[in-house]
Amino acid sequence: MDSSHLNETATVTDPNPESRTSSEAAAGRPGPTISFGAEGGAKSLKPAREDGNVKLEELHAYYGSNHAVRGVSLGFPAGKVTAIIGPSGCGKSTMVRCINRMHEEIPGARAEGKVMLDEIDLYDPRIDIVAVRRSVGMVFQKPNPFPTMSVIDNVTAGLRLTGASRGEMDDRGREALVGAGLWDEVKDRLKGPGTGLSGGQQQRLCIARALAVNPEVMLMDEPCSALDPVATLKIEELIGELKQRVTIVIVTHNMQQAARVADTTAFMLGGELVEVGATDKLFTNPDDDRTEQYVTGKFG
Amino acid sequence: MAETRSQYQEELERLEASALGGVDMVNAALDRTLEAVEHQDVELAQLVVMDDDRIDGRYLEVHQSLITLLATQSPVATDLRLISALLHVLKNVERMGDQCVNICKMIPLSGNEPPADGRMVELILSMGKQVRTIDNQAKRAFEDRNVEMAKDLVRQDDVVDKLNRECFRLALEIGDDADKREWAMTMLLAARAIERIGDNAVDIGEQVAFVVTGLFREFEDASHPTV
Repeated sequence: MDSSHLNETATVTDPNPESRTSSEAAAGRPGPTISFGAEGGAKSLKPAREDGNVKLEELHAYYGSNHAVRGVSLGFPAGKVTAIIGPSGCGKSTMVRCINRMHEEIPGARAEGKVMLDEIDLYDPRIDIVAVRRSVGMVFQKPNPFPTMSVIDNVTAGLRLTGASRGEMDDRGREALVGAGLWDEVKDRLKGPGTGLSGGQQQRLCIARALAVNPEVMLMDEPCSALDPVATLKIEELIGELKQRVTIVIVTHNMQQAARVADTTAFMLGGELVEVGATDKLFTNPDDDRTEQYVTGKFG
Repeated sequence: MAETRSQYQEELERLEASALGGVDMVNAALDRTLEAVEHQDVELAQLVVMDDDRIDGRYLEVHQSLITLLATQSPVATDLRLISALLHVLKNVERMGDQCVNICKMIPLSGNEPPADGRMVELILSMGKQVRTIDNQAKRAFEDRNVEMAKDLVRQDDVVDKLNRECFRLALEIGDDADKREWAMTMLLAARAIERIGDNAVDIGEQVAFVVTGLFREFEDASHPTV
């Protein structure tokens, strides 16, 4: 990814860090993308980042009394695609939603443990949640473009809060559409409605929207389950290109998809991490018998 | 968790049984081949040649079904290794059948006279019996996923190799008579073909180790012998 702004801004001396609000930080004004707010002693973070390595340490997630994720420790290396597989209800989506702190938005839900983005603990109480969501983008099962917005406005929606000029937004929007492999298909209909695109194009539009704010990590929760095979393959190709720029975590029920796109695959069962390893190893000679049973379809 | 894909599992089990059943077909062909060698029975030898179509048919049928499983069921892990191994096993079985054919095609060349050297015929029959044992052991090792039993095939195959070398020694001693020497050459080719059947059975054993461990390793490296 283009992390230059992170490196640059990480060294910017904020003359008055106390004055920065979380929304300003989230909006991407000069300063670290993720910063501690005033409550945390107003120190701006100078992370020595290495391009978006994510690490879960003893992560637990609950829905009320339901213990959905049970002490998962797992790394998502930068520049790689990691797939999470497992039967329905195994906690894989919940785990992924903990990475950008969306899990806690559900009433009664909470998470414990650490989610480290490089050297930053995303669960540090002083952290700015909005900034977390900018750094950790998410693409959902069903494409969800803003229905009243044009194609280009959809892509630049996240930039609008930054106070960027129209010209700047157009440039970043175009860059994101190119990055999402959609530019050639929509360049003549940028002002048309986002919902006028096909399902596969809408999903790539959502990927472009996530890319526009230069995230370090992209979470994909069943991104192709609503798409036809051709649109699916386009997204899979795109994932292969995007991994150079962002760390990708993909939740999928489609094991062949995991086998095609992921460098590393993790298998979860009953909220626990059963096995993680190189994708080719996991699909040809898994270590754990439960993984073997699942990938060969003997249960699920 | 509910058990799933039972039809697929049943089909895979059926194909394994069918592929390994090819070893039984080879042994039946080998029995007839040895009998044809012993009695210089040209008609029986022709039967073996014609019957090889059944082994080839088994190869084609199971091979196609395995390809269909690959295309439609996306097998992974042990299932994938098993299918890969069965494709190898099928090829081995097909080659073993061909070796029986090779021997039987030579029987008319050995003439209708009594054997030039009875000891050599005995050696070939002993080789054949030992190879039959090896074939059965390879099949059982595969069925039981027994790597130790599979590795033991090398030891069993050494017996065949020794008998083969003994045949060679006898051929050298057979004298200057041109007919006898021609007969001995033919018998050497037969011994060599039987020895190759044993090698193919050892190859099946190597596939057992692959199915179980996920690692392929030749039990014996002919290019870099340890002894």
